[in-house]
Amino acid sequence: MNRTIIYILFLLPLAACHSIEDFDNTVEGNFDALWTMVDQHYCFFDQKDVDWDECYTRYKARLYDGMSSQALFSVCAEMLDELQDGHVNLSSWFNTSYYTKWWSDYPQNYEARLIEEYYLNFNYRSLGAAKYAILPQNIGYINYSSFESSLGASNIDAMLSYFSLCIGLIIDIRDNGGGELTNSERLCRHFIPERTLAGYMINKTGPGHDDLSKPFEYYFDPIESPHIAWSKPVVILTNRSTFSAANNFVSVMQYLPNVKIVGARTGGGSGIPLNMELPCGWGIRMSSVSVLDAKGISTESGIDPTPGYAVDLDPVLALSGIDTILESAISLLQSDWQ
Amino acid sequence: MKNEKYGRMSLWKLIVCLLSALAGWAQNAETEPIRPVTSAYTTEVGTGHLADTYLTPLHYNGVHVGLRYERTQAMKSNPEHWIMQLSLGLWGDITKNPAKNATMGNAMLQFSWGTMRRWTLAPRLSLGIGPAISLSGGCLYLDRNGNNPCSARGAVTIDAIGYASYSHTLWGLPMTLRYQAQLPAIGTFFSPEYGQLYYQIYLGDTEGLVHTAWWGNYFLLDNLATADLHFGATTLRLGYHCRIFSSKVNNLVARDVSHSFVIGVVCDWISLTRGKRLPDARIISAY
Repeated sequence: MNRTIIYILFLLPLAACHSIEDFDNTVEGNFDALWTMVDQHYCFFDQKDVDWDECYTRYKARLYDGMSSQALFSVCAEMLDELQDGHVNLSSWFNTSYYTKWWSDYPQNYEARLIEEYYLNFNYRSLGAAKYAILPQNIGYINYSSFESSLGASNIDAMLSYFSLCIGLIIDIRDNGGGELTNSERLCRHFIPERTLAGYMINKTGPGHDDLSKPFEYYFDPIESPHIAWSKPVVILTNRSTFSAANNFVSVMQYLPNVKIVGARTGGGSGIPLNMELPCGWGIRMSSVSVLDAKGISTESGIDPTPGYAVDLDPVLALSGIDTILESAISLLQSDWQ
Repeated sequence: MKNEKYGRMSLWKLIVCLLSALAGWAQNAETEPIRPVTSAYTTEVGTGHLADTYLTPLHYNGVHVGLRYERTQAMKSNPEHWIMQLSLGLWGDITKNPAKNATMGNAMLQFSWGTMRRWTLAPRLSLGIGPAISLSGGCLYLDRNGNNPCSARGAVTIDAIGYASYSHTLWGLPMTLRYQAQLPAIGTFFSPEYGQLYYQIYLGDTEGLVHTAWWGNYFLLDNLATADLHFGATTLRLGYHCRIFSSKVNNLVARDVSHSFVIGVVCDWISLTRGKRLPDARIISAY
């Protein structure tokens, strides 16, 4: 009896040394590591209707002995493209894979030079990635090109204060490929009148495709006084390259009563990515947390403009200095649409 | 005249009181021994191994460094048989992945306080075992990760702590060989959900972050073997510190192992208060 207790006491600590699945730094080992990490952490398998097991069989058949790193990279990148997700990248020292069809199959609907030359006359103020000016129609215009660049509450105050006599505001986030979600939140807080349900987040709870958490409600709080809250009409301009954190900004703002979305469907990218790595040192980034909007709708494939306000940039008119999307927004704000 | 009489009586009373007090203090000095505080200040350098599947499935290896303060003293209530030990440790690791193109850092702080029942098995050999409470916290940081760059660690545990100590003389130099181990038995510890990002926690998704710790999901064995070389009033401590940690919760596995060489000094501090006369005092050391 005493001996049994002693054995148990010695074996318990050994049982507690938890194992971690190891992969060899070989062609097969790296391929298996990549497939397994995506299999265990990617959050959109069901939504994308991807048969990941079938992908494993199909792409693994393309591996061969003596395969070069570059050839392996190509096979792996092609396999990742099956996910059709702009948040999925494979990074090596010679290349970064990137799924582009979420925007390359659509018209760009944006020309930065057109705005700067014909609407702003190259005369605008800048704060980080934001340019802002007052249009001749007495409408405030902010072009926020990347949420990688942070704007503090005081920066946003400065812009809104500059627009204090304007009849409305245009926030142009075409070609804004996203960045930090906190930057989306910082900007939203100046436009929401009260604590607002921003959406839901669902994360993986285990390696299975269906191991998903229950939706977690997350809220944004309005900006506190003395910071400036904006309550006049707002039009947000979008295109397919409005992605990730910028897509999140639209997903929250679209339900505010004084906000309309004008332009083209956003690029989506509602998954929050996490990073992992392969034995050979390559990095893998993939969506692991799904963010739904306040109505519980996934925006992974994009958000449509407000009904009746889908507009494309007319390339012919663009040649003569007219941005048809911006023109639509100006007309809308002048029309007393509220 | 009357006042002078009262004055003499008061003086006698004062003298009697003082003598009584002195006698009492003398008696206390006999019954209450002096309990030196043994303080050890050590630093350690060695190898560190980190793995945390929240950050990466790969194993990182590199350098481990640390500082440790340890305060040991015989307990007041039963100094012959009980000692208490307080320790404060700060350590860190800088490690690389197998491809050597990413760096993971680790910084941890641990506080522990425990008591041990000791037995003197032979004039130079003693053993002790007892309970301890530990608080630890820190984080791993992986520079290549964007939204999941860090993995926070935090735990409050009730531990078993024990030691074996043997004193002898080597080439005329008195030395004490000591092995001490500490093993959490039960407690609570922090872990995010399998795929949960810290941004979600920041937004208020705090459900299920604290877990009950037991050997099956939280194993930590802290081994410290030292040789204290007594050079007169100064003691040099040399040793080996091995820390093995492994946890598994929410389908996440973390494993840290460090092996390090320890060097430091050990001092005995005696607090002399009134009534404690050192030459006659009975001194009960924790060692």
